Amino acid sequence: MQATDDSVSNRIERARASLTGTQVAVALALVAALGFTLLFVQDPMLHDSLHNFRHSAGITCH
Amino acid sequence: MATDHLERGALAGVAGGLVYGLFVATVGNSFTAGLETFEHGHGGSGPVVSGLTTTITSVGGGVFWGLLFGVAVFGIGYYFLEPALPGTGATRRLALAGAGFLTVSGAPWLVLPPQPPGVEQALSTETRLAWYGGLMLAGALVAVACGVAYRRASSRSRPVTVAATLAPLALLAIPVVLSPANPVHGDVPAALVAAYRWTVVFGQSVLWGTLAAAHTWLGESATTSVDTDYPATAD
Repeated sequence: MQATDDSVSNRIERARASLTGTQVAVALALVAALGFTLLFVQDPMLHDSLHNFRHSAGITCH
Repeated sequence: MATDHLERGALAGVAGGLVYGLFVATVGNSFTAGLETFEHGHGGSGPVVSGLTTTITSVGGGVFWGLLFGVAVFGIGYYFLEPALPGTGATRRLALAGAGFLTVSGAPWLVLPPQPPGVEQALSTETRLAWYGGLMLAGALVAVACGVAYRRASSRSRPVTVAATLAPLALLAIPVVLSPANPVHGDVPAALVAAYRWTVVFGQSVLWGTLAAAHTWLGESATTSVDTDYPATAD
């Protein structure tokens, strides 16, 4: 599609070449854990503590 | 080079998180507490933690919320999507921030708008979670469609390009029409609900704007313009 050297697929290639599977897994796990903790944990202690935050951010799935 | 992008994303995330944490500390906490006075018998038992814990944890949640977007969107996302983003410099960051807002908040809110405490919704929590997740996916797909439309139309005149880029947003009308009805009931006055919703919208906009501004301020990565196989030499 693109004539230039820099494209999205080019970036994916570069990431593949320079990152190990473990690094990618750790990064994704951290992001997922953070998102899950903030939004979806239904444990009463944590859930109630984050109550004001969720209302401030407009996420009211509870 | 990927770690360089990640680091800059995290730095932007810290900046955005601190600003958003301040928003939760000054506006979010007290506004939510005020709205709770309209609440009666939320699930029966009431909160299991003290108000102070909620205040502090919520501010911390705000900081981590910014950090999450900084790392995920401006660290990882920007690294991969940079070549596909329109324009240069701040325009690119704002485009990415707009896509992020649409994915995380904008699209889901079309079906499940922010509800103040004390408002009971007819749909169950599980149903709403599923819809919220599905709409996040829809928002992301529409954002990508906007990017593709921009690519196709970028050689045309500016008004045509803008119209073509924004046209895929109309696709979000489909899930809105298909979504189940979610009648709500509560004692919060309608004007106050509107004020609360717009406060939330502006709060998220400030967060995304700060992320984009901080990331722009950090400048271009050295690997963005030139990417040689030779180590850089200082002279």
